[in-house]
Amino acid sequence: MEIQISRSKPTIMHIDLNSCFASAEQQANPLLRGKPIAVAAYSSPNGCVLSPSIEAKRLGIKVGMRVKDARHLCKGIVIRTPDPPKYRDIHLKFCKLFRDYSPLVVPKSIDEAVLDFADTAILYQSLARVGKEIKQRMRIEIGEWISCNIGIASNRFLAKLAASLHKPDGLDVIDHHNLLQIYAQVKLIDLNGINIRYQSRLNACGIFTPLDFFKASEEKLEKQVFRSIVGRYWYYKLRGFETDAIEPKRKSFGQTYSLGKPTDDPAKLAPMLMKLCEKMGRRLRRGNFVASGIHLAILYWDRTFWHQSKLFHTTLFTTQELFAKTMLLFNYQPQLKTVANLSVSCFGLQSISTQQLSLFELDRTRQHQLALAVDKINDRYGEYVLTPALMMGMKDLIIDRVAFGGVRELEDLYHLDN
Amino acid sequence: MQEIINEKVSVIMTYNQSSGLVKPEKIKWQGRVHTIETIGYHHKFHEGKKLIHIFSVADRCLAFRLRFDSDTLHWTLEEISDGNPN
Repeated sequence: MEIQISRSKPTIMHIDLNSCFASAEQQANPLLRGKPIAVAAYSSPNGCVLSPSIEAKRLGIKVGMRVKDARHLCKGIVIRTPDPPKYRDIHLKFCKLFRDYSPLVVPKSIDEAVLDFADTAILYQSLARVGKEIKQRMRIEIGEWISCNIGIASNRFLAKLAASLHKPDGLDVIDHHNLLQIYAQVKLIDLNGINIRYQSRLNACGIFTPLDFFKASEEKLEKQVFRSIVGRYWYYKLRGFETDAIEPKRKSFGQTYSLGKPTDDPAKLAPMLMKLCEKMGRRLRRGNFVASGIHLAILYWDRTFWHQSKLFHTTLFTTQELFAKTMLLFNYQPQLKTVANLSVSCFGLQSISTQQLSLFELDRTRQHQLALAVDKINDRYGEYVLTPALMMGMKDLIIDRVAFGGVRELEDLYHLDN
Repeated sequence: MQEIINEKVSVIMTYNQSSGLVKPEKIKWQGRVHTIETIGYHHKFHEGKKLIHIFSVADRCLAFRLRFDSDTLHWTLEEISDGNPN
């Protein structure tokens, strides 16, 4: 049976800050306004551009470029390194502002949020008018240089598409009247969730445009293109029905570090792993979890990759427990090569309240209490006031970062705000 | 050009009870007084339980990043910038 386009009233608003990190820097420093600037992970030539300003984007500078390439395109570009507390402050301010309009605000990343207006009195007004008011309030209450794109539609997928149509500072509504016109204007890759690999999969099945995608039957998408229920979800979301309103449950905690100076020396890598375990352990304990598995992934300087994960019989809670198991995996490496990137995560999470207590390992209970006491001291006096000895001299090495695209770390942000 | 300073500075600040606005007006750094013309952004964060305020401000030709420690009530000039590349 063919399903028609959803004719329900657009009640979902997607708000996306334009060039968030770069605009925040231009807001803070008026002398940078109107100039091509970029926020990069490092200001060194190989540093990765995280956020080019609107002026830099006009010169062809894109996210993911190297700083040296950005300088080739624009010799006078100003490079800044990230200032996470500033971006978190902007995030908290805009989420607070959005809650004046809807009780259901879902942050999607540090610079994006979805507002659901279903069953709210505000629907008696035009949502486009509400969108304009939000834009105006953001400029007054957060900063005159902060602009955003707003998309309004009947589901999250179309609202995000609407927010990407006219950058910067756009406001678009997609409903059953203009949906097909919009699909005729965009490319497959412009659809949220379609990357190069999915695009080639769609092409292989004779789907070359969003309109072809829309016209494909539910059976074709489910059985031929995606070969899973994902195909059915696509069929519905392309028609404006909601399939993404699910908040994923936390399954792991992880930390990553790209080495400024790649090395193959285990004596230098061990303190880095310890610091990653400390950061991961702090978040694990704050969430009142214990873990039972560790995953270690290493990207080598020669672009090869190795990873290993292992489940353990005992639960892991303290930084020392996490670190001991991480080092166990580290020593499984078939060959010691120069490391460019380290990534550690713990999984198999259980709530600490459901943890099986041991009759015989009294020392373990003491160690857990010690870990909580150390966390409490660090909460009171600042991060890394008390650390394992192996982490000495590491304070400025693995620095604070804002996760890209992820929302899970925002849990920590709300914890800090309270 | 951006330069890290991290020096204690003298600051004159005003508070307007009707608008609720708090504004650093003047900074004295290395014997020179800079009159603040623009408040770019103000944000705060915690270092442990200590609340830190950061005021990003500018006069006509320099931008300043000022740190106010609400525990010690000390002001630090963290960095300056003239808005040009390093």
